[in-house]
Amino acid sequence: MSEIAGAPGTADAAGGPEPTTERKTSEVLHFAVRNPKLLIGLGIVLSLLLLGIIGPLFIEHGPNEYVGPKSQPPSGEYWLGTTSFGQDIWAQFVFGLRATFLIGVFGGGVAFVIGTTVGFVAGYKGGIVDEILNMLTNVVLVLPALVVLIVITAYLEVRGVFIQGVFIGLTSWPWAARAVRSQALSLSTRDYVDLARLSGRRTWRIITTEIAPNMSSYLVMSFILLFGGSILIAAGLDFIGLGPTNGVSLGLMLESAMKWSSLYLGMWWWFIPPGLGITAIVGSLYILNVGLDEVFNPKLREL
Amino acid sequence: MWRYIGRKLFVYLLTFVIAVTINWMIPRFMPGDPVRSMLSRASVGNPEALQRMNEYYTGVFGLDTPLHEQYLSFWANLFRGDLGVSVMLYPQPVLDIILRAVPFTLGLLLPSIILSWIVGNRIGAFAARKKLLDNTILPVGYILTAMPYMWLALLLAWSLGIVAGVLPTAGGYSPSLRVEFSWLFISSLLTHWVLPFLSMFVVALGGWAIGMRNMIIYELEADYSNYLQALGAPTRLIRRYAFRNAMLPQITGLAVQLGTVLSGALLTEIVFNYPGLGTLILQALNNRDFFVLQGTFLFVVVGVLIANFIIDIVYVLVDPRTRVQMTGGAA
Amino acid sequence: MRSLRLPAALAAVALAVTACSGGGGGNGEGSGEYPRNETLYTTGTAWGPPANWNPFMQGQYAVGTVGLAYEPLFLFDPNTSEYVPWLAESDSWPEENVHEIVLREGITWRDGEVFDSADVVSTLEVGQFDSVPFSNLWNFIEGVEAVDAQTVRVTFAENRPQEWMNWVYSHPIAPEHIWGEKTEEQIMSDVNEDPVGSGPYFYESHTDDRLVWERNDEWWGTEALDLDMKPRYIVDLVNASNDVTLGMLQQGQVDLSNNFLPGIDQIINGNETITSYYDGPPYMQPANTAWLVPNTTKAPLDDPAFRQALAHSIDITQIIEGPYANLVEAASPTGLLPIWDDYIDHGLVEDEGFTFNADRAVELLEDAGYQDEDGDGFVETPDGEPISLTLEVPAGWTDWMEASNVIAANAQAVGINIEAQTPEFDLLVDNRNSGEFDLIINNERGASNTPWTYYDYVFQLPVNEQQSTVNFGRYENEEAWALVEQLAAVPADDIEAAAEITSQIQEIQLAELPAIPLWYNGMWSQANNTYWTNWPSEREGAPQTYASMWNGIWQLGGIQTLATIEPAGE
Repeated sequence: MSEIAGAPGTADAAGGPEPTTERKTSEVLHFAVRNPKLLIGLGIVLSLLLLGIIGPLFIEHGPNEYVGPKSQPPSGEYWLGTTSFGQDIWAQFVFGLRATFLIGVFGGGVAFVIGTTVGFVAGYKGGIVDEILNMLTNVVLVLPALVVLIVITAYLEVRGVFIQGVFIGLTSWPWAARAVRSQALSLSTRDYVDLARLSGRRTWRIITTEIAPNMSSYLVMSFILLFGGSILIAAGLDFIGLGPTNGVSLGLMLESAMKWSSLYLGMWWWFIPPGLGITAIVGSLYILNVGLDEVFNPKLREL
Repeated sequence: MWRYIGRKLFVYLLTFVIAVTINWMIPRFMPGDPVRSMLSRASVGNPEALQRMNEYYTGVFGLDTPLHEQYLSFWANLFRGDLGVSVMLYPQPVLDIILRAVPFTLGLLLPSIILSWIVGNRIGAFAARKKLLDNTILPVGYILTAMPYMWLALLLAWSLGIVAGVLPTAGGYSPSLRVEFSWLFISSLLTHWVLPFLSMFVVALGGWAIGMRNMIIYELEADYSNYLQALGAPTRLIRRYAFRNAMLPQITGLAVQLGTVLSGALLTEIVFNYPGLGTLILQALNNRDFFVLQGTFLFVVVGVLIANFIIDIVYVLVDPRTRVQMTGGAA
Repeated sequence: MRSLRLPAALAAVALAVTACSGGGGGNGEGSGEYPRNETLYTTGTAWGPPANWNPFMQGQYAVGTVGLAYEPLFLFDPNTSEYVPWLAESDSWPEENVHEIVLREGITWRDGEVFDSADVVSTLEVGQFDSVPFSNLWNFIEGVEAVDAQTVRVTFAENRPQEWMNWVYSHPIAPEHIWGEKTEEQIMSDVNEDPVGSGPYFYESHTDDRLVWERNDEWWGTEALDLDMKPRYIVDLVNASNDVTLGMLQQGQVDLSNNFLPGIDQIINGNETITSYYDGPPYMQPANTAWLVPNTTKAPLDDPAFRQALAHSIDITQIIEGPYANLVEAASPTGLLPIWDDYIDHGLVEDEGFTFNADRAVELLEDAGYQDEDGDGFVETPDGEPISLTLEVPAGWTDWMEASNVIAANAQAVGINIEAQTPEFDLLVDNRNSGEFDLIINNERGASNTPWTYYDYVFQLPVNEQQSTVNFGRYENEEAWALVEQLAAVPADDIEAAAEITSQIQEIQLAELPAIPLWYNGMWSQANNTYWTNWPSEREGAPQTYASMWNGIWQLGGIQTLATIEPAGE
């Protein structure tokens, strides 16, 4: 769901990344620690990640168990209150965070692998391979991902985070492929790549040793965007009721909050935290990405 | 330029064929039996009677012929505009059901896409390289695009609809009205439209503003801008050029974003129980009506393809480079 | 009048684009709005847009098709266990296998044609088509004839009055001059959008999210039955989310909701205008029994002792107070609904019925040789095989999902390893029908004229490869089935004779537990009294009928509720 926002790939027209073979790490660091966008974004994402990892360890009961009184507003005992069934919303929230990061890693990961592979091969090989892969990319690109996912997952018997991630990955890679392709295209004509090719090295090695490292910053940013996109798509699926069976996630929390009338029963503590969690994660990822962009791309630095 | 359009058309055609094939394959290679699940709702007490009804409906839905025949007749039916018969609304044709929902979805989509694109671009262009504005609009924009559509919809429904009580939060119009062409009914349609529209508009707005802002910054850093600046051209002029150049990728962006905005519309409709395609999809899912689900899928794909094609044409018309080619070719 | 949605919506789009603020509307003409004080708004029955008004498409026809438009010969009053003559005036059994029904005079169809015995004959004959849901009637009916214009005589090849009377009260009569000539294909695919019925309401209009019925002021019952239907319009809204429904109910946009709304107890307690049948728990009248169905072909569920232990392990109160927040009641160990109290052998239940008792469950397991030898906390079979069972409920059925978790936890507490699973509904149906499951929850049989429908559900033989509607547990007991068949042959009004047989059935049932009754699902019904009052209630002087739009409830006296509610403020 993040094809545009801040994606450096949309700036096809703008020049590619600087192929300075030895980027000065110290210089990057110098700007990184001084970039507020990067720091704030990273700070929020990491603290939420930490919460998702550590939080569940301190909760003795399962997130869906009935532990407390019903429909309680937030209190000292139940930090985010309880649901109509007496489930602890704080517990659901931290477990949900964990699941949300997981789906980001699975979905984003699968999309990243497919996207970059297709992009590199197409951009490097060119010719008929490029034509075919490009065609494929365009086909998947125009298919509306969520609707495809709805139709596919509706038929699945058992739905889990993993399967969901794979399907999300399978439908959301095209823009990354496109962006990587255009970068690889420009890099593959550089002298040092030609040199490597003349020396008879295998395509795969040229891609991994010569091309990829020179656009690593670019790849990192693509992954971050795919990560955030997967989270949003997964939340949408969960909300429609096609989430992991018996699972916990922020999207499923939103679904049950809506299903069990939290809006009309005035239980704001049920539907605000999950949405806020998703927004915080994805929003900070985006902002983090802008920060990264500024650090890696000297032209954008505001001096 | 015709080559360009031709290529695009080919891709769209290919996409369509693939979408249709996926659509045909999924139900036939997944477990579960649509006829049986339809009949299990019918609370028929007697097993024999149920068995006989099962056979009858399997025949009606064409599930008892060989696969290749099913595939061919699937295409043949498609060209006749026949998307099958609904299970939940048996015996209504799927196409009729979809067509009734489409105006509501379009009524949300078109205004929110167009208005958010225009307003977002303005805001983004305005914010770029103005430090103070940039520092407020950028984070706000990112937070808006990061919001799940349904969450903003829930927030709006809760705050404006339930707590403040100023706008209706459910349905396409008031259930106490007769459906007719009257002011009373139309104003009811409008008030029910406001909240879903607003939540889609707001989320999309952030994305466009940021896109434009980033684009303008790239443009302002481009060589021609520096060159103009060195020549001493006024900033206003440079910014105008930057804006015009930045528009092009934003138009392409429109095509790329269609799928996302559409998904957003579906989710938003569900929150507001708005009688468009999103709510229809949810109903189909709840009733295990795969014919409607898949019909909607095909319909949406075709809609997206057509929209993409329109955007391509607009792009060609707006892009000075292709425009030159065209006039050059004509001359 | 009908499909104005499209142009109207297009107009809305056009208006929206020009950003016209639709002020100044509402000229107050009567045509625009249904008059609020004459209109009853209902919801909770339709789960999808109205599909058809075809009385033969059971389970699919729009809300009220049978009941409001088409009517049966008799109603069944569950409070008195009597058949109330409706389109019929009286009936008699001149011989054991002959049922003679005398029809009321002076009834006309909505198009003016006279209702007579030919209509009844033709409706029954439609059942000879295989795809008609009641085609099984012709397994035991020999013939139907119109003796004269007002008399119908049905002769039976096999005597099954309980089953026959079930049809008589639950199925409507359709006019011969419209349906008589149709082919099977036509009958089973007819949308029948403007149904010609005999009932108190007729079709006014519909859209995908609602259906409007208008009162038939010519209805025969106003005079003959002295029933005066109060609402001029009934607007039934397609189920939205619980969320939306609750909001509309509280705001008085909906008068009657017939859906399970979690949290409704808080609202009934806190809001004077929202009422249900009972003022306190369980708030709702029972509608059907939720059974825990074990697959009796699989070890150890094939062992009655094991099933007994399982039944004793379930703390039903925990389910009732937990997921259901006291909106349901625990079921009798016989599973029979309270309306069938006369058929329950209370002495027997006292002695043999199971109740929650974890210690007793452990004891039963031990006595039957189920012990935990390997020390994993769960018992093994007497042969030492580990036991691991799954309990399946459909994904998304949240109350059942919660209940199944409680059952699994309870069973584990006594050492029976049960795990709750939530497959998709379709898959569950496949598994259930083909017998590939351990335990499921099911409630597919509801209130009716006779407990025979329940016993048919639990014991029916033979067990087929696919069990699609009854005996999902594949329980085989010839003796019990013979008794059920005997019950089917008991005259419909002979409760005493029937009770004798049901007592024998219960003896087997309580010892064997082919299915374990859990709780009574409620006839969810919550009403807002702002515009309509005098809703059915346990209170003295209030009507005791059902207030539900559910299919099948009209025929159980629900139709009378429309005549007893009163407009508020009069």
